Amino acid sequence: MKIILGIFLSLVFFLAGSEHCLAQDDSFGIVKSVSGEVVIFNAQRSLSAVPNMKLNQGDSVKTGGAGSAGLIFSDDTVVALGPNSEMKIESFLFNPVDQELSFVARLFKGTFSFITGQIAKLAPKNVKFETPEATLGVRGTKLLVEID
Amino acid sequence: MILRQVRQLLYCLIFLVFSGCAQKTTVVLLPDPAGQVGHITVANKAGSVDITHPAEATVVAGQDEPSAPEILTDDEIAAKFSKVLAALPAQPVHFILYFKTNSAELTEVSQKSLPLILQSIKDRKSENIGVIGHTDTVGDREYNLILSKNRALAVRNILVQEGVPAADIGATSHGKENPLVKTGDNVSEPRNRRVEVVIR
Repeated sequence: MKIILGIFLSLVFFLAGSEHCLAQDDSFGIVKSVSGEVVIFNAQRSLSAVPNMKLNQGDSVKTGGAGSAGLIFSDDTVVALGPNSEMKIESFLFNPVDQELSFVARLFKGTFSFITGQIAKLAPKNVKFETPEATLGVRGTKLLVEID
Repeated sequence: MILRQVRQLLYCLIFLVFSGCAQKTTVVLLPDPAGQVGHITVANKAGSVDITHPAEATVVAGQDEPSAPEILTDDEIAAKFSKVLAALPAQPVHFILYFKTNSAELTEVSQKSLPLILQSIKDRKSENIGVIGHTDTVGDREYNLILSKNRALAVRNILVQEGVPAADIGATSHGKENPLVKTGDNVSEPRNRRVEVVIR
């Protein structure tokens, strides 16, 4: 049953992903800096992060015990992950023409710093960071998060 | 045999319960590089807390409600966050280039900004540059989408001629939908006839 559900969910994920690809290049950000062990992964693949690697909907970033990573998103949001940290970009939409603005990230563990960008200015209600304990609504600024 | 399995299961459960309780989320608000301080709402099923002052923090332990806001000292912030603050990239640099009316040709003044843009690309060692074309509100939506695209491509071509790899430049266009200066429809506004260059 679990396997069937898994296959179904991957299929949904795959179809949703491919549909988006038809519309446009759906990368919304880049890895700007990498130190130590950093991995970018999603349901299909897992790659060692290098600077200028592109980030796509649904990607997760994970750092090792001595790792850290700096990311830049297309709306000018900048993010860093400290050692032993993991986050998943659930949704990132920055399309002011069609008023599609959303930034939802799930933070699983570790330390994070953010300077939020234009989405937080234009549509602050659509910026949400989820941690295992709480939901953060962010109206434009610099913030730090630790999950331990 | 069964007893051992039960015992293992019990250990697992105890571990889960305790690790669940022990885990906590700490959220700290800081001024951004321009000195602006925003507003964060931290919420769970048990309650909600707003932090609104520089260095103000709240802690959510397990399923408890978020703690009352408390100002952290610089040392407390550094102890937890110095590594992740050091890893935070500088925010992207933005330039705006202006265009002659109804044209994909740069104004004379904006042509002079090109060396600054090329220098910034070098300084940041940027391999990811966005050029975003815009128009003022004269004309219909479709016409302006094309004009804004032509402006973005014109800037892209200039950068490529100056040695920036084409693969490093992403060109997009917003037509008249994203004006710098908000105006009514069909208003000629030089400040909206522009391409934004974002150097990441």
